[in-house]
Amino acid sequence: MRVAIAEDSVLLREGVARLLGDAGFDVVAQCGTADELLLKVRSFPPDVAIVDIRLPPTHNDEGLRAALEIRARHPSVGVLVLSQYIELGLALQLLSESADGVGYLLKDRITDVDEFVGAVRRVAAGGSALDPIIVSTLLSRRRTDDPLAALTPREREVLELMATGSSNQGIADALVITLRAVEKYVSSIFDKLGLPSTKSESRRVLAVLLFLRS
Amino acid sequence: MAGAACAGYGRPGGRVIHAPRPLTLWALALAGCAAAATSVALALTSDHVNEPGLQAALMDWITVPFIFSGLIAWWRRPASRIGPLMVGAGFTTFLGTFQWTNADVLHTLGVAFDLLPAVLFMHVYLAFPSGRLERWPARVIVATAYVAAFGLQLVGMALGGFGPHNLLEVVAAPHPAAVLLQVQLVTISACCVAGIGVLAARRREAGRPRRRSVALLLDSFALGLVMVAVLFVIGAFDGPAFETIRRATFFVLGLGPVAFLIGLLDARLARSAVAGLIVDLRANPAPAHLRDALARAVCDPSLKLAYWLPEFESWADLEGRPATLPEPGGSRVATLIERDGAPVAALVHDSSVHDEPELLAAVRAAAGLALENARLQAELAARVEELRGSRLRVIEAGQKERQRLERNLHDGAQQRLVALSLELSLLKKRVDGDPEASTRVEHARDELALSLQELRDIAHGLHPAVVSGHGLTVALESLAAHAPVPVRLTVELDDRLPEPLEVAAYYLVSESLANIGKHAHATSATIDVARTNGRVVVEIADDGVGGADVERGLGLRGLADRVEALDGRLRIWAPDGHGTRVRAEIPCA
Repeated sequence: MRVAIAEDSVLLREGVARLLGDAGFDVVAQCGTADELLLKVRSFPPDVAIVDIRLPPTHNDEGLRAALEIRARHPSVGVLVLSQYIELGLALQLLSESADGVGYLLKDRITDVDEFVGAVRRVAAGGSALDPIIVSTLLSRRRTDDPLAALTPREREVLELMATGSSNQGIADALVITLRAVEKYVSSIFDKLGLPSTKSESRRVLAVLLFLRS
Repeated sequence: MAGAACAGYGRPGGRVIHAPRPLTLWALALAGCAAAATSVALALTSDHVNEPGLQAALMDWITVPFIFSGLIAWWRRPASRIGPLMVGAGFTTFLGTFQWTNADVLHTLGVAFDLLPAVLFMHVYLAFPSGRLERWPARVIVATAYVAAFGLQLVGMALGGFGPHNLLEVVAAPHPAAVLLQVQLVTISACCVAGIGVLAARRREAGRPRRRSVALLLDSFALGLVMVAVLFVIGAFDGPAFETIRRATFFVLGLGPVAFLIGLLDARLARSAVAGLIVDLRANPAPAHLRDALARAVCDPSLKLAYWLPEFESWADLEGRPATLPEPGGSRVATLIERDGAPVAALVHDSSVHDEPELLAAVRAAAGLALENARLQAELAARVEELRGSRLRVIEAGQKERQRLERNLHDGAQQRLVALSLELSLLKKRVDGDPEASTRVEHARDELALSLQELRDIAHGLHPAVVSGHGLTVALESLAAHAPVPVRLTVELDDRLPEPLEVAAYYLVSESLANIGKHAHATSATIDVARTNGRVVVEIADDGVGGADVERGLGLRGLADRVEALDGRLRIWAPDGHGTRVRAEIPCA
């Protein structure tokens, strides 16, 4: 799998390149700016681009704009955005079209190497990876009339993993249960929340996210 | 009483002005009476004047008003040359009546001066009020008319025009003389038309209602020029009803000085307005009222006031905003009001008000104290304005500094710690075979993760980078998501707002939501942000218990500072049991 990295801190950029290289990825581009990344993606599209949200020159939203542009112009390229802060508004902006091939993770997540590599693979393959902070923030809100209260603790765990973009197999591995059990939980959750069931794992990320936000 | 003094603003040249000696004026007045009587006598004894009584009356109807209005003007406005000019016009008109005499020498003199008065009237009209022809078109017009009326008249007389009693005849060429007279009359007529244009331009360029008396005067002048132009054209081509039009013209010309006198009288009426001004100021001494009262007193609705702020060494209006005085020489003039030798205020008014210096002096004296009070208010306002500016600068400087610190943390420590943590993760993979080493590395990594979290919280507390990076809408979305109660968020903004405004709105929402979590016992809240009519309105409302002390959310005081520094207003409603509503309105062009 080919991966391009845009990160202005050399230390981090090289760290990420090294860990992805060790995990068997082909790191085809290491860029310090958004423009450089866009150029590389245009000339030689990778499977996934990992983008720091704050890039030179202003360190405001150059990274995000590059990510949105890659999403619009190169739908086949997965985009994984890394940031020091997780903002729900940005997640919604990134996922506004679909959750296919999108990731949005706290920068710290790269230090959990296996998780991170898994997320990069998912996004490269057209899946999604949303930071657990988003999901837990949304779940922790007090509600007057809370449909989540109807969920069992196990279903809640499955919901959290599902919302971050985990595949059924991923959920099964994480919770140490069978794939069939996961499928049962998922359909039960969709029933209880009144969501139309969907086979696509990335589509259900968006559905759950929007449900939690409303 | 205030030591009011005019500092000579707008006075052309700054020459020393000598008032005419009373003796001179009396002598001229006497001469004027004698001239009036003489012209009557000349008409009645003449052997070639029809209706001598009427002719003499028509002449005196012009000479007497011009001479006496001119003398009054000379006496009251020694700075203006208009008085002597009018007196001159009156006496020249009188010289024209010499042509009625039976003595050839005097008759010749009278004929030579026959057309000159018409040009002098034009000169008076165009030179009003200073007595000078200020611009070149007027100078050219008047000079041309003088040449036609006097120079060519002498030439015509040399050619033998104007009958047998003309002593200046050199050759007898009646036909060229008649043509020349036509040329003279048409030329003067054309100059009159051009003069009307000059008067019209003057009236228009004022661009605002000129003072009433001035407008009346200009209109009577223009009418006079119209009549002269018509009369001369008819005279040149032997048109119909010449005599009737001539009488009507004389009547109108005599009105000019009458209008001038009305103007003077108007000034005297205005002076009685000074008494009204004193009553006005006593009844309503508020500085805001002062301008209107002064404008009424000097009959200039366009009057403005400027106050001198010694500490700022500048002029300002009552609200403390910088003001500029007009340059000398324009149609707007500033009259300085001084107190103990230091400027207090300036009246900025139409230059025609300067035609009434005693009115200005009286107004200055009457309003001195009120102006001093108003000046203090302007100074206070300017100080408040300055403080407001410095408060904004302090808040912005603080914000910039926090932003810089956040940036440094983000680009420095945070990145390094993440890289270090990654390094530890990779190291852990290497020492997988050594459980103790592996555990210690894992422990170190956990500690690092905690440090990172703390650092992130600190950095975020310093400055909400999401606001400057991605705008208020995105930032509020996150705040709403983290809110302690379900929040309905409505943001109606098309564009990014100026950064200080975005930051203020962000902190307002953030602090209000924190208060809701701490005190409100609410079950839901709404956040509305909209931009309407040049204002941004941010409103946060909850359905909690309300009541209590609105200052209890102590952070709100700091927020009010932020909002007010941006010229905005922060209001809080917290009726018992009916929730709390926080509303900020901030102007945004």
